[in-house]
Amino acid sequence: MLSSTVMAQAVGSPEAPPHSIASISATEHSEAFDEALKALETYKKKDPSKVIVRFKAVGNAPIMKQNFYKITSSNRFQAVIQFLRKELGWQASEPLFTYINLSFSPAPDDTVSNLFKSFATDGHLIVNYSTTAAWG
Amino acid sequence: MSTYGTTRHHPSQPPPSRVSTDYHTTLFRRLVWEGAVPLEIRVDPKELPANSDRGLECYFMQAPRVSYLPLLMPEIRRFLMDVVFDEAAAKNLKEEDWWFETEEGTLLKWHWSIGLIYDNHTISASVRVPSQAHSMSTPLRLILHLASPPTEKLLLSPSAESCKQAFMGQLKEADFIRWGNTKRITGLRKAEQDGLWEGIKDHNFDDFWRVASKVMPIVPSTRSQSPPPASMHSRPPSADNTAVPDRDGAYNVRSVPVRVYLPDGPVLQELIPPILEDGTLNTLSHFLTTHLPLLFPQRPPAPPPSRTNPNPQAPPAPELAFPLIQGVLTPPDSEVAWLGACLAGADGWLNICIGVSRG
Repeated sequence: MLSSTVMAQAVGSPEAPPHSIASISATEHSEAFDEALKALETYKKKDPSKVIVRFKAVGNAPIMKQNFYKITSSNRFQAVIQFLRKELGWQASEPLFTYINLSFSPAPDDTVSNLFKSFATDGHLIVNYSTTAAWG
Repeated sequence: MSTYGTTRHHPSQPPPSRVSTDYHTTLFRRLVWEGAVPLEIRVDPKELPANSDRGLECYFMQAPRVSYLPLLMPEIRRFLMDVVFDEAAAKNLKEEDWWFETEEGTLLKWHWSIGLIYDNHTISASVRVPSQAHSMSTPLRLILHLASPPTEKLLLSPSAESCKQAFMGQLKEADFIRWGNTKRITGLRKAEQDGLWEGIKDHNFDDFWRVASKVMPIVPSTRSQSPPPASMHSRPPSADNTAVPDRDGAYNVRSVPVRVYLPDGPVLQELIPPILEDGTLNTLSHFLTTHLPLLFPQRPPAPPPSRTNPNPQAPPAPELAFPLIQGVLTPPDSEVAWLGACLAGADGWLNICIGVSRG
């Protein structure tokens, strides 16, 4: 692959990536491999903590009685959209557009945790909602 | 190699300044753009309609890393219509019901770029036991299903329009991470915004970057070559003779838009400043040892000096994992700001896939 050749030449790193060395038999993994697998298990654990999401209506969208909610960090944004629909009492067919900080629509599989880390203001994540596409 | 001028103008700024994208930045962006991966696409044999030409139902293609599965569907459809299906079956093809998964059963997302899908598969393979002799150029085998898409997991429809919306959303999200607002993207005329997606669809580097160079961070040409060791760094000179506006400099972003993919999940997003609090440049290894210390441990300290070993060296850090960016094993000293400007995907995101080393 052209780019990998350029990079390898630029920095003198070996051209074969570590994982293409196939000399290890199926039953022999190194300690390092086991340690890495353990590390992955740790990182896979779902964060049970909750963060504060603040829903803000845009345009003609109805304002809810309650706007601040605690949402589990590990949820995908898709779950937040579904939660909002339920709170609004809207069917799946009714148009609902959601944005972060009046700026962009996140990917539905972005997690609340990642969005909060990157975009929270004043300790909460602002999710704007409207019936029409605004910033999308 | 073409260098071309761009006109940047911001509402609050006086006359537009002409900044040309420098040679090395363009070189790496073109390498990323031209990167392609081999795909082997096979219809699920249980779903092949009667009278299909079996034995020919496998399609090989080189797909651009910066493209998306919905954009490949017209080509795949033409192949299936020409070679595999008979007329009756072809009439019943409903692309909106198509979906892809890997041989291992991983569902493929419409809004992930082909390069990301491929690298993600590479790192998933790195944790499977027993290890297969997996070389970097093994075709990624995809199974195409023609019906019953798991919509609640796919989250999007397979249409090109839906993919475009997701792509534009990612561009804006990346813009916001860099600058705290999306003015650079929203400041583009509608025709220009559409032009970005057209550039992806037509796989045209010049068309795409004619617009993208107005919104992506700039690397001053004094910084674009292999950097000297990190200890020599301080803030790059703001008044250098390439007159890079600070507003768009890669080293002036608040944070580099980065996502880190671990084998079989999760996906992590962290705030990554280009310059650390002590004024040194943030590197890939600093980022990885800070946020994934269990996979990228710090180098252990040198043992105390002894009679037999008066000048002990610190032992090397154990190599448990490796970072892949655009399919390339990335040097640990790479500056994250440079990576964000030169090795990001077309949507502006630097995707780092972490694989496990086979000690």
